[in-house]
Amino acid sequence: MRVLAAVVCCLALGACGSIGSVEAWQKGNLAKRSMSFDMDPLDDRFTQHTYQSKENMSGGYGVGGGGCGCN
Amino acid sequence: MQLKLGRGARTPDKHRTARAPANGARRPRRQALLAAALALPGLGVTADAAAAGNAPEEGQIGFKILYYQDSQPSGNRMKVIAPSVHVAKTVLGDWVIQGSGVVDVISGASPLYHSTLSGASGRGIEDRRLAADAKVTRYFERWALGVGVGRSDEHDYRSNVGSVDVRFFTPDKNTTLTLGAAVASDRIDSVNNVAINQRRTTNEFLVGITQVLSPNDIVQSNVTIGRGRGYFNDPYKSIDIRPDDRNQIAWLTRWNHHFESANATLRSSYRYYRDSWSVTGHTLGAEWVQSHGNGWFTVPSMRYATQSAADFYFDPPFPTGVGTKPYYSADQRLSAFGAVTPGLKLIKEFASGWAIDFKAEYYEQRAKWRIGGNGSPGLETFRAHMFQLGVSTKF
Repeated sequence: MRVLAAVVCCLALGACGSIGSVEAWQKGNLAKRSMSFDMDPLDDRFTQHTYQSKENMSGGYGVGGGGCGCN
Repeated sequence: MQLKLGRGARTPDKHRTARAPANGARRPRRQALLAAALALPGLGVTADAAAAGNAPEEGQIGFKILYYQDSQPSGNRMKVIAPSVHVAKTVLGDWVIQGSGVVDVISGASPLYHSTLSGASGRGIEDRRLAADAKVTRYFERWALGVGVGRSDEHDYRSNVGSVDVRFFTPDKNTTLTLGAAVASDRIDSVNNVAINQRRTTNEFLVGITQVLSPNDIVQSNVTIGRGRGYFNDPYKSIDIRPDDRNQIAWLTRWNHHFESANATLRSSYRYYRDSWSVTGHTLGAEWVQSHGNGWFTVPSMRYATQSAADFYFDPPFPTGVGTKPYYSADQRLSAFGAVTPGLKLIKEFASGWAIDFKAEYYEQRAKWRIGGNGSPGLETFRAHMFQLGVSTKF
C-alpha cells in the first residue's frame, strides 16, 4: 500500500515538473463536457453503485459514498 | 442565467469554446474558461459537477430513471427501478450547494449460496432504498473546501456518511491536488433476525491529482484507501462468516483525449484494486463520445473487469469447506471472474440548455473470462440489463 502511494506521488511530482504549460485560451476543448471527469453525475452514480453491489471491487472515484444493504 | 464573466466565471455552454484573449494582460481573467477541464474526483456520492478551479456559473438540475434487471440462465434475479435527481447551484458567487436523491425499488430473488436462488421460483424480496446527500463547497482563489453528508435507508440497513475534501489549484489551474476523507456509519438489522443491531464503520481517504497535459489531454489519478470495521457478513446467505475488518485500496487513473479532427473524445480508465480479503482486481473502461453536430452525441462504451476470489470463498458444492477456515463465504461476488459491459448512450442537447439522454448496457460475468488466473468453477453466468433515461436543464 505504501509502495503504491509512493509511486503515485513520484508520478505526480514528475508530471508537474515536466509538462508544458497549457494556456487559458488553449482550453476550449478541455472545457467540453465530454472532457470532464464528471460528465454525467447520475449516470456515474448508477454505474458505480451497480458494480459495487455485483463485484467485490470498489473505490477510486471518490470517498463518502456510504454503505447500503446491496452487498 | 448569465452572470458577469469575471472571477468565478466559467464557460457555461459546452459548445462555446474559449477564444484567444483580445488582450494578453487580461489572460488570467480568462483562466476561468478552463472550467470543466479541471473537474475533480467527487467527494460524496455526487461528484463535483463541473467544478474546476471556480464555482460553476449556472445551476444544473437533472433527473434520471434506471431500469435494472439481472438474471442467470436458470432464472431472473433482482429488478431495480430507480428514479433519481441531482441539483447543483452556485450561490453568493463562491459557494456551491449540491444535493441528490434516489429511490431504489427492489424486487426479485437473491442466491442463498453460490448461484442457487432462494426457493424454487425464487423467494420474493421486496425492498425500497431511499438515499440522499448534500454537499457545500466554498471556492477560494487557489483552493476549495467541500463538506458533504449522506444517508441511505432500507428497512434492514441504514448508512450515514460525512465527508470533507480540500482541493489546491496551481496558478495556471493546470494541476489540482485533491485530499479527501469520509466516515460512514452503518447499522444492519436483517428481517430474518440473523443480524440484530450490527454495526460497521468505514473510514475512507483519497489523494488525487488532476493534470492538464495538452489542449486535448487531461489525466487524473486517484488513490483511495478504505478501512472498514464491524459486520461484513451477508445475513441472507445460508452460511456467511466474514472477517470483521476489511482494508481496501483502489488506484484509478483516467485519461480523456479529444480528437479535434473527428470531433470526438476518448475517455479511458484503469483501476487497480486490492483488499485484505486477498481480492485483487483490474478494471478497464473506454467510452467514445462522438459529436454529430446539432447537439447529438452517440457514446459507445466498453468495460472489462476481473477479480480474484476472496481467500475464504469456497467453490461448489455447498457447503464444502465450512469449518476448515475461520471464515466462509459462498457469495458469487467474492468469486473469481471476468466481466464485460458493452453499452451505448444517446444524448441530445438543445440550445435552450435542456438535454435528454438514453443509455442501454448489458453486463455479463463469467468465470472463464477471468484474466490472470482461473475463474471460480460451478457458478451460473451472471447477466444484467441496464437502461437509463435522463433529462436535465440549466437554471
